[in-house]
Amino acid sequence: METSNKKLAKKRRSASQLAVVWRRFRRNKAAIAGLVLVGFVVFMAVFGSFFAPFPPRSFPCLYKGCTSLPPFQDWSHPLGTEPSGIDVYSEILQSARNDLYVGLAATLISVAIGLGIGVASGYSSGVSGALLLGITQVFLVLPVLVLILLFSRILVLLVAQGFGLTIIVLILGIFGWPGIAYITRGETLRLKEAEFIQATKALGASKSRILFRHIMPNILSPVIVIATLTVAANILTEAAISFLGFGDPNTSTWGQMLNDGFSWLNYWWISFFPGIMIVFSTLGFNLLGDGLSEALNPRLKE
Amino acid sequence: MAGLWRYILRRLLFVIPVFLAVTLLTFLITNAAGDPVQIVKFAIRRITPAQVAALEAYYHTNEPIFARYFYWLFSFLQGDLGTSLRGGLVASKILPWIGTTLELQFLALAFSLAIGIPLGVYSALKQYSKADVVISSIAIFGYSMPTFWLGIQAIIVFSLYLKWLPFGGAISPYPPYWGGSIYTDIIGHLILPVGVLTFVSLATFTRLLRASIVEVLRQDFILAARASGLRERVVVYKHALKNAISPIVTITGLSIGLSLAGAPITETVFSWPGLGYAYVQAVNALDLPVVQDLTAIITIVVLLVTILTDISYAYLDPRVRLE
Repeated sequence: METSNKKLAKKRRSASQLAVVWRRFRRNKAAIAGLVLVGFVVFMAVFGSFFAPFPPRSFPCLYKGCTSLPPFQDWSHPLGTEPSGIDVYSEILQSARNDLYVGLAATLISVAIGLGIGVASGYSSGVSGALLLGITQVFLVLPVLVLILLFSRILVLLVAQGFGLTIIVLILGIFGWPGIAYITRGETLRLKEAEFIQATKALGASKSRILFRHIMPNILSPVIVIATLTVAANILTEAAISFLGFGDPNTSTWGQMLNDGFSWLNYWWISFFPGIMIVFSTLGFNLLGDGLSEALNPRLKE
Repeated sequence: MAGLWRYILRRLLFVIPVFLAVTLLTFLITNAAGDPVQIVKFAIRRITPAQVAALEAYYHTNEPIFARYFYWLFSFLQGDLGTSLRGGLVASKILPWIGTTLELQFLALAFSLAIGIPLGVYSALKQYSKADVVISSIAIFGYSMPTFWLGIQAIIVFSLYLKWLPFGGAISPYPPYWGGSIYTDIIGHLILPVGVLTFVSLATFTRLLRASIVEVLRQDFILAARASGLRERVVVYKHALKNAISPIVTITGLSIGLSLAGAPITETVFSWPGLGYAYVQAVNALDLPVVQDLTAIITIVVLLVTILTDISYAYLDPRVRLE
């Protein structure tokens, strides 16, 4: 009887916590707009290739006399075509999945590394903690973009074709964790001295129990916020890499289309529409992140 | 004061291992693509064995890679930046690149601070008003927009369709000059890149300052200042702004550091002959000596600017103790 009561109480409390966050989030129009944009992009990523009339990186207009078609003229190519014969509408749909994949997967890697290093360097006070902090500080001051560009150019060149996107995910993930580690470390340092952690310690909880059951859940909200913003940043950086031509030329991404468009400036539609999609997705994740940071912040009263 | 000097010294000592780590990493990764001789051989098929031997001796390619790293390091520290694989001494090219990059970046930074600070203050004071909503929306748009995409659209609209502004490079290579003289031509080439860079960093400044001021205005000392009968203007500009400005200083410092790295992507869009464009070109051409030297220089500059930022941070905010 008692256990079932406990379970019930726990369930209700966690549900109401989520409900509070949702209530705060819902009131923020910008946050809702962000959620809608992210939903739109996710929808495109999941179903885009079903709606796309042509396969990715295909040239349906080559030898058919419908290259360099302006948009809104021929409805079998609604957003126009490139001089190479690529259909802009189809290519945008096919690219959504890759762009979202880079954004999410690289963020996941960064969060995993950043959370691990941040918590460890905050919680352990000895040499290892100092060393981890040192590594974080080194990574924080590096000219990251310059290194990311160099690494992408050379590693994409070296690996077998078809793995270019994975390489970029790894590079973005490995260079993207320091900010997350820094925030996590600060929160861990603050929590370590908190009374409820001291109490847990006094009760004889093991180190891993303290870390995973008590510290991790409490630093989750700032991590969720920064992770959401990191997704946006990763989509932008990937677009930059592909735009410069350092990505995998056989993989459809919006950045790759911007690269095409940059060589054909007279055909404005080649770069305009994929760019709009990049803006939608980064704007969506940024608004969502801002909204979450307000909704999850317990200091901001209702 | 002695504490400050000790702090600076320690930070400078911190630069050395970071510099070594970054340059070694760059050296390993660039050489993973092939050593310089292989790349030259790939580009010039009709190279003679004697020339290959001379190149091998010059780049020490028969020695282990770590030995070659130290050859590079010593000549770099002596100021010898080596030869570009595309011809020409690296050292003679880098100075003009730095000049054009600084010209672009400082103009953009000055404009975005001059516009961004008043906008951020206004937006924070009139929180949730119509003007604030408009400013904040534009700011988050700018913040989410890929600079290079905005740059391409600006070129298409203002240069190709309207034909108002020149694009590509920092100056027209030959007449006719835009606006009639060479000076107006230089200004004409600056308008688009400066405009795009300003818009994007403006967005960051406005957003940050707004958030920071909103946070500061909630604090007790502002209430105390108001209660003691100070005019609102004094409260805002003397008390609130001074306490809210530190994140702006940090981000300005960071963006100066990074912009000295040249915004590689913006510069590429506008073919702006600066450090970033040169870097992208070198990476693209696998011009290993140039990539290596530019990475080293960019790293040093970024590290030094970060130190300066931290010092000015402590100067502006006495609560920050440099340790």
